[in-house]
Amino acid sequence: MLNYILKRLGMGVLTVWFIATATFAAMHLVPGNPLANEKATNAVIRANLERQYGLDQPVLTQYVIYMGNMLKGDFGIAFSEENRSVNDIIRETFPVSATLGLLSLLFATAGGVMWGALTAIYRNRWPDYLIMFLVILGISVPSFVFAGLSQFAILHLNKWTGVSLLPVAGWGSFRAMLVPALVLGLSTMAYLTRLMRSTMLDVANTDYIRTAHAKGLSTTRIFLHHQLRNAILPVITVLGPSIAIITTGGFVVESVFAIPGLGRYFVQSVAQLDYTVIMGTTVFFGAFLVLMVIAVDILYGFIDPRIRVEASR
Amino acid sequence: MSSEIILEVTNLAVEFATYGGSVQAVRDVSFNLHKGTTLAIVGESGCGKSVTVQTLLGLIPMPPGRITAGSARLRGAELLGLSADRLNHYRGKRIGMIFQDAMSAMNPTMTIGDQIAETLIVHMGMSAAAARQEVITLLTQVQIPEPERRLRQYPFEFSGGMLQRAMIALSIACQPEVLIADEPTTALDVTIQAQILQLLESLQQSRGLSIILITHDLGVVARMAHEVAVMYAGQIVEQGSVDDIFYRSAHPYTVGLKAAMPGRSAHKSVLQEIPGSPPDLFAPPAGCGFNARCPHVMQLCTSQAPPLFGTSHQARCWLQHAAAPAQALYQQLIASVRS
Ligand SMILES: Nc1ncnc2c1ncn2[C@@H]1O[C@H](COP(=O)(O)OP(=O)(O)O)[C@@H](O)[C@H]1O
Ligand SMILES: [Mg+2]
Repeated sequence: MLNYILKRLGMGVLTVWFIATATFAAMHLVPGNPLANEKATNAVIRANLERQYGLDQPVLTQYVIYMGNMLKGDFGIAFSEENRSVNDIIRETFPVSATLGLLSLLFATAGGVMWGALTAIYRNRWPDYLIMFLVILGISVPSFVFAGLSQFAILHLNKWTGVSLLPVAGWGSFRAMLVPALVLGLSTMAYLTRLMRSTMLDVANTDYIRTAHAKGLSTTRIFLHHQLRNAILPVITVLGPSIAIITTGGFVVESVFAIPGLGRYFVQSVAQLDYTVIMGTTVFFGAFLVLMVIAVDILYGFIDPRIRVEASR
Repeated sequence: MSSEIILEVTNLAVEFATYGGSVQAVRDVSFNLHKGTTLAIVGESGCGKSVTVQTLLGLIPMPPGRITAGSARLRGAELLGLSADRLNHYRGKRIGMIFQDAMSAMNPTMTIGDQIAETLIVHMGMSAAAARQEVITLLTQVQIPEPERRLRQYPFEFSGGMLQRAMIALSIACQPEVLIADEPTTALDVTIQAQILQLLESLQQSRGLSIILITHDLGVVARMAHEVAVMYAGQIVEQGSVDDIFYRSAHPYTVGLKAAMPGRSAHKSVLQEIPGSPPDLFAPPAGCGFNARCPHVMQLCTSQAPPLFGTSHQARCWLQHAAAPAQALYQQLIASVRS
């Protein structure tokens, strides 16, 4: 097991290095640089600034310096904000993104498992048709549309009730987190619902469920003890990719709801071609996702006895 | 057979609604299971053996399945048409069932011990601790070594033979009167097969079990059965004691099955298979279902379905009719095949 984890972590490091290199290359291939705006008023100031940030060096040298600093855990200073290190930005804003993401993930998995199980129970009857229609909507409509619509709905709800039930945007209270988390988790929930439905139906047709009936167990007991447990396993395997979808979806939702998370910086930095913030956030998100996928795989190993027992041999 | 009838199935008919039309999977099947004996149901795959027995326990998905006629009584109490709740007083408790592929018939994410204990807890109201003790006793009875260790293992940690033993332990846990074994040894190799059959025999003796044994292997029938029902295309075509079936075969299909059986006549090097294939169950042909493959087919066979002739030894064949012209010739033929 330990061997396996180490191998996965090694592969993960390689992946992150590749992400960093590719981002670095892409960034420098785009015309312009972070100083190509009003800050650098004349050629002298511009040259000074470039020297200060090391932009006068050959690109390869910059790459080596940057990688060296990154290995030490230093992502450098942001171009767009004075005297603010990228590390500080991540430290301050990532907890906000993580809270939002976790809430969405909870919502998406709980909802996905519940709705999926429900559609399987009501297969080919109207609750199934209704939920599956909503699922297709959830998968195909982009989250910024839901974000806008939900703000619109909140606005009217508040006006109609006369009190401020939910804030339209912002962050801080649980009330403010609720709607953005729902919006962010929606597509994942839809996807998990569909997956859960099909695994539930697969499991319902297995020989061991027939055995459970032959044993004279009640339908409820079969559902809880035999069907659900086996149907949830495949859902756990896709939690890794689901976390990735929620994380990247967070970029959009944070922007729309004015949430001070890391995702907003990520989007802004690309628009401003802020080299250090782009690199920092991309590498950070990349490493985070790689770690999450590995964590989910390990978690799965603990839940599925077939893998757990093999691994402990 | 003089002993008391435990299970009485009469005129059972089951069909499946499919896109291609309705499949008449089981047609007019009747049999009796006597206390402490083994009834073997034999026939080619797809002839309706599994559907017949699964219908008794309500294991056929409905829809697409539908019971169109018949009754099945366990000691006089009707089983067909019961709600799942009422059926659960019988399933696993008074009727146990074993399936062909034990590996897929066991829940892969639950320990063997938990799967067996579950029936004891549900049907016998045992505590978890008492159930665990009983599981150990059961595993010992089916000769699984180191039961304390084995009960904590999952199905994938068992060999096929061991798993079928565990399945047997599960099916007899609540002391059922009837055990239905649907091809219990088909997935196993020959030596393990013999061990499992021996285990079933000894359980029958020690517990007075009445067994319905489904198989397509006449060797298994010869070894285990007291009575035999031969099924073909959803119907029982011949039925009788094991001696009736082997030494006084009355249906050409039974004769064909025997000729296709390996090892019984060692001097015959070539196995004879029955030419042709079973009829389309979507639209059973007019007359006898076996007429297209029958070496003794007569005009009558293609137009009118034969009834079951006989009383204790029955056969669904026009040759059994007193006026059948080929009767004498047919008896000669049987004699020549047997020698
Ligand atoms: N769920 C189902 N839907 C449609 N047809 C079925 C279904 N289950 C069984 N059948 C049909 O019933 C017939 C008998 O099957 P079965 O009893 O399993 O045969 P066997 O004698 O091999 O056990 C087959 O022709 C099969 O196609
Ligand atoms: Mg079968």
